[in-house]
Amino acid sequence: MKIFLILFSLFFSLLQAKDSYELGDGVQISSLPIYLGGYFSTEYEHTKSSDKYKLDDIALLSYGNYQHFSYMAEIEYKNFYTKKVKDDITLTQKDTSLYVERLYVDYTFNENYMARVGKYLSPIGFWNLLPINVLRDTSSDPISTNIIFPEFTTGLYTAYSNIKDSELKIDIMVQNNEDIDNKYSNYRINKHYGFGISYEKENFTTKINIGYFNKLHRLIDEEYEDDETEEQDEEYTTASNKEQDLYYMLFSAKYDSQNYQFMGEIGHQESPNGLATNYALYIQGLYRITQKHTAIIRVESYDDKVTALQDSSSIFAYTYRPAYPIALKAEYQFHTLKKYDKLLLSFSVLF
Amino acid sequence: MKKLIKSILWIHCISQFVYANDYALITNGHINKISKAQIKAIYLKKLTYLNNMKIIPINLEANNKIRESFNKNVLHMSSNRLKIYWIKQHYLGHRPPLSMKSQKSIKSFLKKIDGAVGYIEVKNIDNNFKVLYKWSD
Repeated sequence: MKIFLILFSLFFSLLQAKDSYELGDGVQISSLPIYLGGYFSTEYEHTKSSDKYKLDDIALLSYGNYQHFSYMAEIEYKNFYTKKVKDDITLTQKDTSLYVERLYVDYTFNENYMARVGKYLSPIGFWNLLPINVLRDTSSDPISTNIIFPEFTTGLYTAYSNIKDSELKIDIMVQNNEDIDNKYSNYRINKHYGFGISYEKENFTTKINIGYFNKLHRLIDEEYEDDETEEQDEEYTTASNKEQDLYYMLFSAKYDSQNYQFMGEIGHQESPNGLATNYALYIQGLYRITQKHTAIIRVESYDDKVTALQDSSSIFAYTYRPAYPIALKAEYQFHTLKKYDKLLLSFSVLF
Repeated sequence: MKKLIKSILWIHCISQFVYANDYALITNGHINKISKAQIKAIYLKKLTYLNNMKIIPINLEANNKIRESFNKNVLHMSSNRLKIYWIKQHYLGHRPPLSMKSQKSIKSFLKKIDGAVGYIEVKNIDNNFKVLYKWSD
């Protein structure tokens, strides 16, 4: 906690020292090739049976480069403060532990090859690369980005890219060790071998990912923490506590123009014991009404054998950004499983 | 009447030609020809090396008309979209290209640094530079 406060004070004193600072720019430490930034998000969730208030991410990040090397370090408070009100009972939770969200060193060999070692966001699909509230389009994440593949990988990563009139990129992820700080990872894993290939031309990008990972223990998503599904959770926990081999594939496509964006991802998971996600998908349309106002519609569907849940939802969202690094978001989710209908409001800032 | 319309059209075409601004992306000679998609990738820092040489893209300051023309005609992105792109890149650990105040400072930087690229008006290019790409408003 003390270290974090010192770093935060340093960050804000640097902000004051910089004359032309703009939000979302980060600050440079003196004239060194080292930069600091940070972000936070707060959220309010209302369902038929409960209300939840959350001060979620408070994070500090640092990055820089020197010749062929670059680095990224991100430390974070997750679920820093949560208050849940249900049936006139108030539950408050605090997690004041600091977690390492990303920590890696890159080496760029030349225009085609680079390598990375450390903990990084798995370069799978599009959504998973910009997962923080302030940068993503809606307060919530699509379920497909949560249940198909491990969001984080701790190990090696190498990429080949070829840019001529279009861009072709190949990603290879390798993990054969324990995770770094996996409390809030969607999967706890000790093995991950992933392969991805993406093609980008002008405004259109498409990507295919396939991979294997060894799940040690899967955390129960808060979405499922409900009295009505306690029995399912119990089965889920028992099944998910066992070590399990999982294979996944994800197909993603995106079209991004000045005013519109269409994006979709569809994933499938296989497991020798059949406890996997049959499919999970989302298709999202985004319209930039003005620079500050964005309207989003997303449809999602999934069939998860682990939780024995099958659900489809429509999400209607609106985001107001007085400046891009400040996001005020509202969304309403309509589910076929009615108990998951919810209203989400959030406020997030990137420094 | 037809003659008058023809004359007006001719005058319009000629005036467009006379007042068109020509710009070029230049280097000090150590980079070979590159495609428009590669230029975009260099300015978005997706491509940081070419033939094992570190590439350093240089911008003119924000709101400069040449920069706006470059964004529009070469990158095909509005200033606002580029700003959003760089805010997202900040989270991913990448910085936007360096900005310089004038075409003169771009030229003197390019003369000294191999691998640096920048854009200026065609009329200001001298023999010390190699043109990588040309466009007009």
